[in-house]
Amino acid sequence: MIDFALADELRLIQQTAREFADAELRPRDREFERARGVPDDVRRRYDEIGLGRVELPESLGGAGLGALARVLILEELAAADAGAALALDPLGPALYPLREFGGDAALERFAAPLLARPGARAVLFWDARPRIREVDAVATGILPWVPSDRADLLVVLEKERAYAIAEGIRCEPLRGAGLRAAGASELHLERAPIVASWVHTPQAQRALARARLYAAALLVGVMRASADYSRAYAVERQAFGRPIAHHQALAFLITDMAAAVETARLLVLDAAWRLDRGEPAAEACASAFLEASEQSMFVTPNGVQILGGHGFMQDYPVEKYMREARALSLLFGGVDLARDDAGRDLVRSEGPVPLTVEA
Amino acid sequence: MDLTLDAVTRKRLEQARELGRQQIRPLGLEADRQGRPTPPEHPFFETLIKLGLGRTRWSASDDARGDATRANDPTRVGTSRTQLCLSEELAYWDRGVAVSFPGPGLGEPTVLQMGSPEQKQRFLARFVEPARPIWGSFAMTEPGAGSDVAGIRTRARRDGDDWILNGDKSFAANASRADWIVVFATVDASLGRDGHRAFVVEKGTPGLANFVIEKKMGLKAYESTSFSLRDCRVPSANLLGGEEHYAKRAGFKGAMRSFNATRPMVAAMAVGIGRAALDEALAFARASGVEREPRVRDRLERIRRRLRAARLLCWKAAWLADHQRPNILEASMAKAVAPTVALEAASLGMELIGEVGGRGDHLIEKLFRDVKAMDIVEGTGQIQRMIMARKLVQLPSER
Repeated sequence: MIDFALADELRLIQQTAREFADAELRPRDREFERARGVPDDVRRRYDEIGLGRVELPESLGGAGLGALARVLILEELAAADAGAALALDPLGPALYPLREFGGDAALERFAAPLLARPGARAVLFWDARPRIREVDAVATGILPWVPSDRADLLVVLEKERAYAIAEGIRCEPLRGAGLRAAGASELHLERAPIVASWVHTPQAQRALARARLYAAALLVGVMRASADYSRAYAVERQAFGRPIAHHQALAFLITDMAAAVETARLLVLDAAWRLDRGEPAAEACASAFLEASEQSMFVTPNGVQILGGHGFMQDYPVEKYMREARALSLLFGGVDLARDDAGRDLVRSEGPVPLTVEA
Repeated sequence: MDLTLDAVTRKRLEQARELGRQQIRPLGLEADRQGRPTPPEHPFFETLIKLGLGRTRWSASDDARGDATRANDPTRVGTSRTQLCLSEELAYWDRGVAVSFPGPGLGEPTVLQMGSPEQKQRFLARFVEPARPIWGSFAMTEPGAGSDVAGIRTRARRDGDDWILNGDKSFAANASRADWIVVFATVDASLGRDGHRAFVVEKGTPGLANFVIEKKMGLKAYESTSFSLRDCRVPSANLLGGEEHYAKRAGFKGAMRSFNATRPMVAAMAVGIGRAALDEALAFARASGVEREPRVRDRLERIRRRLRAARLLCWKAAWLADHQRPNILEASMAKAVAPTVALEAASLGMELIGEVGGRGDHLIEKLFRDVKAMDIVEGTGQIQRMIMARKLVQLPSER
């Protein structure tokens, strides 16, 4: 029966992630942004507490936990610094196609060496056609943006297949619109050999679903940060003789921002819960990503708005949240593809539309 | 975490679905066509009583044990979620008919929270196993006081062992057919909420008169009734909680608390209406062969996603209530969000059916009219935001 209580283990993980994010990430977010990365001391502490390994199989030293654990951590990290959340995760969502298509063997071959190399990063890119030309398992072309300064492994996911590239990748640094703490590059593939390639539609769908959920959880964290920061500011800041939060125009905006965050979060939790139960969840993940994208574009620009002129200045974090939210929803095919996928699922179904899982 | 429904709830939903398909939806359409509420003598209400519906949740035995936290608390553990799912399902078939169901109605939470054991016995016992359909009603709103409930003008004046009530009440559901109406009045309008008293005014009391069933945009199957109290003499035994209750200045708080458990329920009804609009719109699109067109599909996709989120907000608020955890913020959030989502569902549904919606005889058109009330009853969307803002930014109360 309907129950939103998190299991003790999950609550502990969430708490640990929150404490780490509060102590290590949020106070240094602008420093990470300037440095285009997270310093070694922070990365070491992150590795020590083991948050990065919750979703990895036990064979790779992971905890073998599911999607709920993952989204709880991602929200907490992103509520401090979404760019740092990406920078701290060497595999990132590239884990999903490797695991779905290649199983343990692929993880052993591609993930293990990457994890053994400090600072190495894997990059997941959705459908590189027509930017990448493939001739005899060799790829050439340019990808306009990935949120990383390194690409030790590139996994390209398409509707029916995935392939991996480990050499022949050159990163041209970009300024990046947001998520600068994760880095930003234009990827150049120069006769890069495709070292592994898998074909199977259901796996591709499942991998894409999890990647979308990953981005959606980060979006929830970012918009929560924006809503919380601007709310606290509005309670302090005085105008016309009272806190600006006590003018109804702003009070109601703040309540709607809180509702937007909660709405997106509930869809993310619902999708993660479905994944962990082994339910079909591709649509729920696409919907969560869409909702998080749309709501984040209500919340984060209004976060800037509430701070007025200060909001536009980089002395305050709200402008960063706005840029990060927009950048996150461009990943993994973006909102248009998610809308197509969720919509196709809807019109394929028959009879009354189930909103949630009944039994 | 678990987002499924238990077997008991699923079974009751299945029953509601059957009743909905066979009787509730047709009755709602009929009332809408005829522009009048389903009359109280309609055999449908007898059917409900035979099915064990239209009863009170109060139980004399729980009361005797002095277990006020269970039966007499509207947020009793384990009931909110099932009730909420049922509310959604009934509203899916017809929200107007759902409100017309016999039973103590919105008066019940107030009697449960403020009433003495004797008063609960007097006013609720008849709803335990009613032989025929009977109704209770609740009257707070007045022509000059809606959201600003502290501003009610109906006067209560002490006269010996009785109270004399004078004033006008508006939009009380099922009032003209009710055995009794919980009426809020003030002993001193300048005291605001502290001056409020809740009375149970029984049918046939002299001075309780001028029942007018209002003409509404939608939800026509239940009566929203205005009435007046003219030197209406009510025994002090009908003052809920007795004098001592108000000496503790808990009167208004009692009334506000009673809204608490119902807000997610009303929000869930909005989800039900929105879901009906979604299913109808999708069926229409399929029948017209346009469901795969991106413009059509995108609208439907958005409706499903937003309705799912609204349902989850309702579920969370009800789950908190079931565990006696504070849910003011969540309840208001659900109530603020769900009606606007449901209106969007009906409105996009109208766009999809196009000129057919203009005819005035399509279910989606009816839903579009019905659903607007959901952002108004049980506290408007604006009131919900004020309640949320009190929690989120300590917005000072108006009074």
